[in-house]
Amino acid sequence: MTDHTVACSYKIPVGPLHVALEEPMYFRVAVKGETIETVELNAGHVHRGVEYLATKRTLLQNMILTERICSLCSNSHPEALAMAAETIGAVEVPERAQYLRVIAGEVKRVASHLFNVGILAHLVGYEALFMHAMQVREVAQDLKEAVYGNRMDLGAHCLGGTRCDMDDEAITYMRSALDKLEPDVRELEKTYRTNGSILRRTRGIGILSHADAIACGVVGPVARASGIQYDVRTAAPYHVYDRLPVNVPVLDGCDVWSRAMIRLSEAVNSIEILRVCLDQLPEGPINDGGDPYIPPGQAIARTEAPRGELVYYLKTNDNPEPERLKWRVPSYPNWDALTFMLKEAKVADIAIIVNSIDPCISCTER
Amino acid sequence: MTRFPENFEASLNAAAPHGVNLTTTTDDHGVSVMWCELADRDDLSAVGECLRSYHARLAMVTANKPPAPEEEEEEQDEEDEGAAEAEAHVPEQSMSFGGTPQDGTSYELVYHFDVGGDYVNVVAFLPAGGSIASLTPLFRSADWPEREIMEIYSVTITNHPDPRRLFLDESIDGAVLDRLIPFSQMANASTSDELWARVMAAAKEA
Repeated sequence: MTDHTVACSYKIPVGPLHVALEEPMYFRVAVKGETIETVELNAGHVHRGVEYLATKRTLLQNMILTERICSLCSNSHPEALAMAAETIGAVEVPERAQYLRVIAGEVKRVASHLFNVGILAHLVGYEALFMHAMQVREVAQDLKEAVYGNRMDLGAHCLGGTRCDMDDEAITYMRSALDKLEPDVRELEKTYRTNGSILRRTRGIGILSHADAIACGVVGPVARASGIQYDVRTAAPYHVYDRLPVNVPVLDGCDVWSRAMIRLSEAVNSIEILRVCLDQLPEGPINDGGDPYIPPGQAIARTEAPRGELVYYLKTNDNPEPERLKWRVPSYPNWDALTFMLKEAKVADIAIIVNSIDPCISCTER
Repeated sequence: MTRFPENFEASLNAAAPHGVNLTTTTDDHGVSVMWCELADRDDLSAVGECLRSYHARLAMVTANKPPAPEEEEEEQDEEDEGAAEAEAHVPEQSMSFGGTPQDGTSYELVYHFDVGGDYVNVVAFLPAGGSIASLTPLFRSADWPEREIMEIYSVTITNHPDPRRLFLDESIDGAVLDRLIPFSQMANASTSDELWARVMAAAKEA
């Protein structure tokens, strides 16, 4: 008989172009048999130098540019940039605009979370559920298209307020879309909670312990699934979030399943927040009509993007272009956590685990 | 009234013997942002240690190379005010807190920390060619930002446990944001028949 014992480890490449990855990232995975020993990340495949470009554009142009850094968190980028500029210029944002900003953010959150859990079903091999989740997400996509005219980049914000107002027709349409979405999202949550195929492939997989999560400084659903109760909307409230029923779900499962459940539960909460916003939406202007003057200064602004805390640092001088514009996307610290999650994992689970941090590479590398 | 713990400012002052310049603003929601300029960048590790004791999370590191301040036109001064006073103005060099010259060659590094929802931004100034100690031994999340700064600026970060390139390939010269690079070269779009010649040569060999 031949001796089949696996004596040594192998290094296998995953990426940069790989069927299970939507964007290029290169993982050098050392395996022993089917089990991963170590993982090394090699980034930089879509590095575009947007940060440099931002210093060559005026603030107004940067509102357009930053929205194109990422597709799923697109709305949060100009939102945080506007907040940083408004802090420097002491610009008062009208109350109606603050509500409209929350509405745009929460609609994006629902769509983004449904996309991620949908992809999870696809990676698990449950294609019917994947298509169902994407179909439910389609309601949110149509909602964005109907209200903002775009399905991904909403272009909702401007310096000092918002660009798009919502009339009664749009509000009625949004209410009916939310009524359609809510039971479907709740049904999805129930399926992910109970379905055997999902549970078998996601529970106890991709563990990121509470201590490791703190060490890596992870944010968003990844942090909250490892027991870290941190959400910018409650930790450092902005807009009118302190008047809204923001629920910060926390789980201590530390696995892929917990991350998915956090996202689904946040999607349900976002629908509730949206309804309250539509009820409370005050009358009034949505911006002050012109481009506010932003004097020299520096400021930091944060928003809770669908993937977690998004940080913007803006430094202005006498020129219309910023002296420095820097941002840190939620995916950036979350990548590091993969080295913990993938340790001792099975090769077959790599894609599922990578998807569980909801990675965005064009965001990370800019 | 801020949410920062009691004695927070005092501990920061104690951690940086060379001095810190603290300014804090609090918005309508009660969220505070503190700017903490270090007189001496050697105090960074001690300040990092202090923030760590408050369970701070290092969220982001920004490097910036502020441009030299524009020279002010002093023609009017000379006419109006007499020569003696004008002379006193001229040789003055703009300095950061702590005395790093702001002449367009120095850097400022801003370490953005989250302390229970509030932000502390620690600013360290580096003269051209200066180096600064790594925070990665204290904060794991400093690893990537510091590697990124090392490859886009001529900034040396000492004691970094893994100072490899992060986004840029080893074949690319470093400090890309410090150099003027012709666009065609950057986009690799310069026209020559070099590639064609190589393809033809390879075809001949085959």
